[in-house]
Amino acid sequence: MKQSKRALIMYDPIKIFLESIEEYIVKKYEMKPRRLVVEIDSNNLRNIFEKLLSVFGETGFYLSTIVGTDLIKENKIRVDYYVVLFPLEDIVVLRTYVPREKPVLPSIVDILPGAYAGERETYDLLGVVFEGNKYLKRPFFVPEELVEREVYPLRKDSGV
Amino acid sequence: MGISKVIEIPVVLEIPIGPQHPALHEPLMLKVYAAGEEVVKVEINTGYNHRGIEKLCEKNSFYKDIFITARVCGICNLVHADCFVRAVEHILGIEPSMRAKYLRVLGMELERIHSHMLVNAVLMELIGYDTLFMLIMRDREAIMKAKEILTGGRVLADYVMVGGVRRDVNNEKIDKLKKILDRIEPRIKYYMRIYEEDPTIRKRLVDVGVLEPREITLYSLVGPVARASGIDIDVRRSDKYDAYNDIPFNVIVRREKDVWARMMLRWEEVLESINISKYILEHLPSNEKAVPDERRLPRRFPPGEVFTRVEAPRGELTYYVMSDGKQNPYRVKIRTPSFNNIINTGFSYVGHSIADVPVILASYDPCISCMERAIVIDLSNNTKKYVPLNRIVKGDI
Repeated sequence: MKQSKRALIMYDPIKIFLESIEEYIVKKYEMKPRRLVVEIDSNNLRNIFEKLLSVFGETGFYLSTIVGTDLIKENKIRVDYYVVLFPLEDIVVLRTYVPREKPVLPSIVDILPGAYAGERETYDLLGVVFEGNKYLKRPFFVPEELVEREVYPLRKDSGV
Repeated sequence: MGISKVIEIPVVLEIPIGPQHPALHEPLMLKVYAAGEEVVKVEINTGYNHRGIEKLCEKNSFYKDIFITARVCGICNLVHADCFVRAVEHILGIEPSMRAKYLRVLGMELERIHSHMLVNAVLMELIGYDTLFMLIMRDREAIMKAKEILTGGRVLADYVMVGGVRRDVNNEKIDKLKKILDRIEPRIKYYMRIYEEDPTIRKRLVDVGVLEPREITLYSLVGPVARASGIDIDVRRSDKYDAYNDIPFNVIVRREKDVWARMMLRWEEVLESINISKYILEHLPSNEKAVPDERRLPRRFPPGEVFTRVEAPRGELTYYVMSDGKQNPYRVKIRTPSFNNIINTGFSYVGHSIADVPVILASYDPCISCMERAIVIDLSNNTKKYVPLNRIVKGDI
């Protein structure tokens, strides 16, 4: 038992994570202890998740949540992917920015089905289009009336 | 002229279960398509409970949001409030006292006990074992009483506040809580024995709704559902929030992967929670104040962002809170365990009989007001090809 615990300490998933996607990293910093943020280019998103699946395997990590935030002052929408790495549940945040006028990201729902709910929600509330996700459809959360008016409630200038 | 093609027309039944249905106690709709008894497709339609909590949080101040987040869910209101309050505390740079942290954990563990008892009771009702349903609910009432003694509220606690908790306990209350826990523990063991020995329960639950470990991680399933399939995750152990760093406890993992394993795992977690609660009552730090002075709490919030996690009864619950230096948070994102566990599991019903659908659903412990109100269609790939009758009528095959 003790030995296996020691083996766990030797294994550093964060290091392996950073090494495997080294070429795609734009910037990295800590949000708070145990929350490492890695900024990436949105075009590499699919490559990164395919790489993670090949390095860690299907049971080596999971996508916890997708958080979209409207940064109106910078004229950008930020989309964060929270990835939890086994076995110690280290969390890495993959952070991307898309312009507000044309918020388009590649979808990863075909390689990671767990992204399904998060992508649909982000599309519905913030209007980020995930290209390749054939299930994207409004209304998902919002009432019909907002769909007709093309309002995305979580955008800061939506007036909701 | 020989026959070139045989068209077999299966009888496909479309059965709506919910949103108001005797077998489901939550506003959720499962649209089940069945060929005979076998389920071929399930659509999960929700959206009967959308309240726009995230937007509401942006419109109110940090202190008011504590009460809003506590009302996301009735059963696990304390974990929601705790997760949000820890995020606010991190932004403010406040650290609550150890006694307050112990009391928070006690409240959350009591919540876990009664939540797990509730879902076990509901499942027993679904398979027609009403006697056990009533017995479990009777014993659950004692835990609700314990929660009332601790927090002042039987269901909604509003117990957690920035910098501590709202009420302290005295020795008299500690004795009462200990007595309740001592009384409940043998009852839980008795229920576990019934689950192991009763042939009807085993027939209905064993080998039903099997989820493989790779499905758990690919579909982002969390909590007891993941642990019953051998995926060893527990936020209490990995994040060590509040007082979990000090308190000894075991993470329970089973490898049977079916409904029975999920329910047994919940019973074992109840026993573990009882042990944690007893440990807290024995080792509660006595030289500190648990209740902070509300008038002295800071009114200005520095800019910052934080991502907190908590192990709710149903699994990993996450909050993302961002402050831009104003009175109201800039962004609050809540991702509840049921959001993943219910929406992403449409695939798991295929191939089972109709009677198993409520059982499998209940084993995921659905909490619809928690789950963010979505409309989901999961098209599971079945190897058989079913052609709708209307297309055959049109000659379009």
